[in-house]
Amino acid sequence: MKRMRTLAGISILALVLAACSSGSTDTAAEEGMEETTAAVLDDSNCAAAESFCVGLVTDIGKVDDKSFNQSAHEGAMAAAAEVDGFYKYIETTDTKDYAANMAQFTDKSYDVIVTVGFLMAEATVTAAKANPNTKFIGVDQFQGEEVANVTGLIFPEDQAGYGAGYLAGLMTKTNKIGSVLGLEIAPVQLFAKGFEAGAKASNPSVAVTTVYHPPADNAFGDPVWGAAEAKKQLAQGADIIFGAGGGTGNGALIEIAKAEGAGTAIFCIGVDTDQWFTVPEAQPCLITSAVKGLTEGTSDLVNLAFDGSIAGGNFVGSAGISDYHDFASVVPMDVQDKVAGVVAGLKDGSIKTGVTL
Amino acid sequence: MLDFISENRKPIITLALVTVVAYVFYFLDEIKTTSVLVFGWGYAVPLVLAAMVGIIGERTGVVNIGIEGQMLMSAFASFFGSVITGSIYLGMVIGILAGLVMGAFLAVAAVKWEMDQIIAGVVINIVAAGLTSFFYAPGKTLPQLMPVVSIPILSDIPLIGPVFFRNGLFALATLFIVLAVNYAIFRTRWGLRSRAVGEYPSAADAAGINVLRTRMLNVTLAGALAGCAGAFLALEAAGTFARGLTAGRGFLALAIMIFGAWNPLGALAAALFFGLSTAIASQLQADEVINIPQQFVNLLPFVMTLVVLAIAVGRVRPPAAAGQPYTKEG
Repeated sequence: MKRMRTLAGISILALVLAACSSGSTDTAAEEGMEETTAAVLDDSNCAAAESFCVGLVTDIGKVDDKSFNQSAHEGAMAAAAEVDGFYKYIETTDTKDYAANMAQFTDKSYDVIVTVGFLMAEATVTAAKANPNTKFIGVDQFQGEEVANVTGLIFPEDQAGYGAGYLAGLMTKTNKIGSVLGLEIAPVQLFAKGFEAGAKASNPSVAVTTVYHPPADNAFGDPVWGAAEAKKQLAQGADIIFGAGGGTGNGALIEIAKAEGAGTAIFCIGVDTDQWFTVPEAQPCLITSAVKGLTEGTSDLVNLAFDGSIAGGNFVGSAGISDYHDFASVVPMDVQDKVAGVVAGLKDGSIKTGVTL
Repeated sequence: MLDFISENRKPIITLALVTVVAYVFYFLDEIKTTSVLVFGWGYAVPLVLAAMVGIIGERTGVVNIGIEGQMLMSAFASFFGSVITGSIYLGMVIGILAGLVMGAFLAVAAVKWEMDQIIAGVVINIVAAGLTSFFYAPGKTLPQLMPVVSIPILSDIPLIGPVFFRNGLFALATLFIVLAVNYAIFRTRWGLRSRAVGEYPSAADAAGINVLRTRMLNVTLAGALAGCAGAFLALEAAGTFARGLTAGRGFLALAIMIFGAWNPLGALAAALFFGLSTAIASQLQADEVINIPQQFVNLLPFVMTLVVLAIAVGRVRPPAAAGQPYTKEG
């Protein structure tokens, strides 16, 4: 009898812990709420006209993932706070839970639901059709056909990759550069192909190695593989490596930072956000990051939703490369000028990346 | 000597063939071959260590589904142990101790309390995933790097030297651990008793072996190897910790255990095979030698596993009492 009770105790403990780690983030959300909002204290009357409720569903990953979930989360939270709205997020732990997580918000009549990640595109459109009064913002979700209440926040990733590649082409001494990538999906492909196109544009004799993680659920969360792949590319002579793929890419960056010559002869390039801040371990080699304006784009769209001027279809955010930080003195001035010129040219459309999927 | 060769003809021929092929590639492209093999062995290390955990458990009659969780906890403990104490060596010790604790947990639940072994393992995986992601704090860095040690003379052998004998401490220890486990299981009194307990516990009991104590001890000690695997991942392979760092390697290790027919050397071969085919898949992608989509290239390890398993099917047999709790009769 006693044994049974102990077993039951352990099982309950396990379930509680599992629950803590997956769905509910009440404590964190409430803390955020106390700091940021005064007008709306909970989500019990989101249906009312005067209240503005914003919910965010992450892709597999957490709001402190140092990458796109975190950026979108910060943007949505800031925008909600600006207009005294209520903000809450749910972290997805299983791809099968996308719909259920969105339903937690639609059941309470949230005004805006932000879903983060390309993989959630289909679930988002399905939920939007079932809840026509809720505005959906799909970060990284290209909208093939327009649904009135879904806005896809997309980025010209190829431009960010092109800028980074242009820099890499000018900086490489071995004429070999590489990329360690997550899952082969559109945003990652655009980064990778833009990177290659940019490098070839600035240095036609450069060889670019492109390696994606084997297709699997963990393709964006396998730093061990990323580190091993980066090590292999370094051994084969690459001196600048682009790590693009969540935790997998971060693993590559951290490995390169440990390599001999990191920061003098060997460099790494981060992705999505300025990884100088998000992956401090990579600072010894991190020359720049190919960034998407995730935080800015998400908060812009939440603001548009608040105004009521948000439109269905696609909303193109900004993309480019981040600050050089400590490497501003390592990257020669003429290289910086050339790269800045190319990034500006991409933005105004005078330079085309020529990347097609 | 001749007896040994005639008894093990197939493995010896395979080993010789693989070695010859590896050196042919080595003379064609030294750098590429070495770096691909380094990738392959690095990929194999945690798999083979985790497979040892599975083998020791099942040889003694306890199925361990919780290797993934045991590794994850150890990786977490070793990384944050290093960060807090400021020493990577203390971190290693803490990681291995965490593995021991997780091993003891499975031992108590599955052997002492006779809980269903599969459920006990699943509980470990869930608890580990929950605890490590709840207490995870981003932005921490290791206080120092894992030192790379070269074993004199051996590390100077072309190809084999840099791949197997110039590594971090855990990767170096792994070869030794596999040989030691193999010797212990098949050549020592402890091994004979353990296998008796895993094959026919009531007979072992009648012969005076304490079945429960043997199982408790083995499952707990095997946890230390899961600790090594976890510490390898966090301190040596990735140099960082991330949620879900183990990324399914504990489950892959179970497949490798079966692939290797519950035999430590077999598991080593299976893990190497898996690591190498993963490395080759990534190298084919990088070289674009054959212009086929990377999804197909990445299928390679799994297709090859399927083929080998299909050929080997029928010849592998799990220990008879694996998965069955033992209660003394009468």
